[in-house]
Amino acid sequence: MKLSHVKTSVVLGSLVALAIASSATGQSTTKLWTSDVVADRQRLMKLNGASWADAQAKLKAGNAEAVATNAETMALIATQIVALFPEGSLTDKSKAKPEIWQKWPEFETAVKNYAMQAEKLRDAARTKDLAATEAVAKDFGRQACGTCHTPFRVPPPQQQPAAPQQQPTR
Amino acid sequence: MGLRTAATSVALAALAALVAVGCATGPLTTMGSGDPVAERQRLMKNNGANWTEIQNKLKAGNVEGIAVNAEAIALHAQRITLLFPEGSLTAKSKAKPDIWQRWPEFQAAAKNLENRAGTLRDQASAKDVQAVQATVATFGRDACGMCHTPFRVPSQQAAKPGL
Repeated sequence: MKLSHVKTSVVLGSLVALAIASSATGQSTTKLWTSDVVADRQRLMKLNGASWADAQAKLKAGNAEAVATNAETMALIATQIVALFPEGSLTDKSKAKPEIWQKWPEFETAVKNYAMQAEKLRDAARTKDLAATEAVAKDFGRQACGTCHTPFRVPPPQQQPAAPQQQPTR
Repeated sequence: MGLRTAATSVALAALAALVAVGCATGPLTTMGSGDPVAERQRLMKNNGANWTEIQNKLKAGNVEGIAVNAEAIALHAQRITLLFPEGSLTAKSKAKPDIWQRWPEFQAAAKNLENRAGTLRDQASAKDVQAVQATVATFGRDACGMCHTPFRVPSQQAAKPGL
């Protein structure tokens, strides 16, 4: 076997291994949800909004610890967002801006930021420290929701802050 | 360029494409860690926390507030089967091999959780106190238990039913 052939084999071998590894981790990707990706992501974001509203209601009631459940729900849900914006999924029911696909890496970063902010809120809540949790919550609308909604979502007809509407749950 | 080299190049290009596709779709929907056992344990832990909160809110008379927790469980439930790829049975996992031996039953049990949680969400949104109480009363057995009893190794200490 010539050296060049050995090299080719090594390259081939690593590529095969990489392909298998990619397929293995990619296995948990396909066929989530329904065939209507706009409805799916709107349902998902509605849960994010409701979780945030619930978290705010708990803070008002002085219950920081329970915020951790909502924050972790948001952090878990956040991992699904990017996959629910396939290219071309812009219907008249969607409030997504085409900028999402024009500036895809920025969109991915904004989603990643959202997940990290939710985890920050969760970790603060787990310490049961009300003041610390409130400090994270104070900027959450702007820094977590707004970082994505401001550049990438068409604002509702009535001018509203970037944070989702608050609907107290208790 | 000999035929053999050309063939190798084609194979290389095809593999490179496969890798690219794998990478492109891979990280999007997984939770990023590449460790399905850790990912599903994290997901199920949040399901458990939401279930605890449902019970607390019911006790406190906050029936409507249960909807957000029930919807969280319903959406998480959709992802459960994807987080149990064949062979993902490590020492840290409490999964039984029966999951993969009776996969359609496992799928049905996960779907059942999604449906039950959806029912609870709708009852809570409608502020139907009696319906919520009835669903919560059997949720541990009819939703959690349908999957945990056949498909999860029980904890050392007999766990509380439904958790």
